[in-house]
Amino acid sequence: MKEKKPIILQALNPSDYFTLAMDEEIRQENMPGSLCGFGLELSTPPDFEVLQARIHEFGERFPLVYASLQQQGKRFFWCQREQNIPLFKQHIDDNKTDGFHKKTVLELLNHQQAREDISPISFHLISSDTQHTFLLRWLHPFCDARGADLILKYLCTEDPAKRAKFDLPKLDSLVNLQLEKYSLWQKISLFFKAKRYITQLDKLSSIIHADISKAPKNLNFLPFTMSIEQTQIINQLARKQVGMTGTSLYYLGCFMRALHRMNPDQSGEAYCAPYAFNLRKNKALSPVLGNHVGALFAQAPKSILHDRNALFQHLKQENKQVIRESLDYAFLPVMLAASWLSLKKHGKELRQSYGSGSERSSFWFSDIGKSDLSNQPFFNSEIQKVFHLCQVTSPPALAFLCCQMNEQLTISYNFVEPLFASVWIEQLHSYMLEELLMPTDE
Amino acid sequence: MKSKIREFIFNELIFVAEPEQFSDDEDLLEAGLDSMGIMRLIIYIEEQFGVTLPDSEIDPDNVKSFNCLQQWVLQHQS
Repeated sequence: MKEKKPIILQALNPSDYFTLAMDEEIRQENMPGSLCGFGLELSTPPDFEVLQARIHEFGERFPLVYASLQQQGKRFFWCQREQNIPLFKQHIDDNKTDGFHKKTVLELLNHQQAREDISPISFHLISSDTQHTFLLRWLHPFCDARGADLILKYLCTEDPAKRAKFDLPKLDSLVNLQLEKYSLWQKISLFFKAKRYITQLDKLSSIIHADISKAPKNLNFLPFTMSIEQTQIINQLARKQVGMTGTSLYYLGCFMRALHRMNPDQSGEAYCAPYAFNLRKNKALSPVLGNHVGALFAQAPKSILHDRNALFQHLKQENKQVIRESLDYAFLPVMLAASWLSLKKHGKELRQSYGSGSERSSFWFSDIGKSDLSNQPFFNSEIQKVFHLCQVTSPPALAFLCCQMNEQLTISYNFVEPLFASVWIEQLHSYMLEELLMPTDE
Repeated sequence: MKSKIREFIFNELIFVAEPEQFSDDEDLLEAGLDSMGIMRLIIYIEEQFGVTLPDSEIDPDNVKSFNCLQQWVLQHQS
């Protein structure tokens, strides 16, 4: 008997494919794939009934949340399931378990499930006597970090008329829209420009601190929230050091120096970090779902890490050059072409340096920026802290994720054990804090 | 000049529901112009109007509104 073909709801776009390739790479390491999370620590229990109703409404508004990611031929699609998986789950600590909240978050992020079976997005309320955590967990091909932020914003928006404005106007994949602006020859020219840029980056071998003699077992994370005063100082120092155009570069430079201080003799010639930039306009409420990012790299040779001014100058120059030469958009045709590769080949292209075949990324980096949830109530509760999670390939087995909310900077270090240990990350953070708060030479 | 800058900002960088209602004195930073956007804007202005805008002058006073931006660019055009 012929097997019934599932109903296709939506095809993946080029930017989704690169996160799917990473999902496959992580799965090949016996890890759960590219699961990501946004966590909110709440002051009091949120209004459960209203929250549940709002999540239900969200599911009705965006039915893709119930879909299953499936391969048909060479391509992947979001397909309809026979039965919807519940979107919202509550986890209650009946036994007063030590570290119940973090333990539950990690169980959810480390949960292994076939790609076809896993829910693309799920919402979790973790409750104990004194603590309340809301976790949004999603599979990266389903949406990007900005999309997840928009989903949280949607949930928090009280006014139905304002909620109706999300995802309007209905936009096609922004990668495709950007690519449509170029002729075929321009696309080809951009493709080769990006290839040349990557070849240039790959001339320096990347410094990787993970102990790659060990097999990855599980993801762990350590979040740190700075005080308002510390955040103000960091913002002022970032402004002085890199100017108005580069807060992310300040974090990147400080993080590279903190890593260098952990072991200045670590082999490799440069730190290299991929980071995504958003194709959505700022403050836009559309598109909510899907990935709408391009990729960039920040690379700094070991030889300049001892000199803060030289390092920040270098990162700034590099970033300016990338934008001036349209290298940011140059990766979009590469993304489009790579989406036709097998996931294995795609993953290899994304991760391995041309020539040496070694890992290109020293760490993954994401600056989510100023959160739209700042000073907003969350179902009659107050958001006290946030944290961010993402599964990462091993190596580099390390991701640096940050955002500012309620005028406080939060850094979430995500790392794969046993390639990294918590005690190492704690030491790294103490260096990072010193770097972030280090006065400029002026 | 101002209309070209407006077009670039609203088409490429920030979402405003009714751009025509956005005055030349309104705060662009409040409206969502971020560090990456400022970098793109400066490179666009430099290429479009043939000016060089020094890094040392990139501060809120020069980029916070369309009027400020125009004034800044004009200083360097002359």
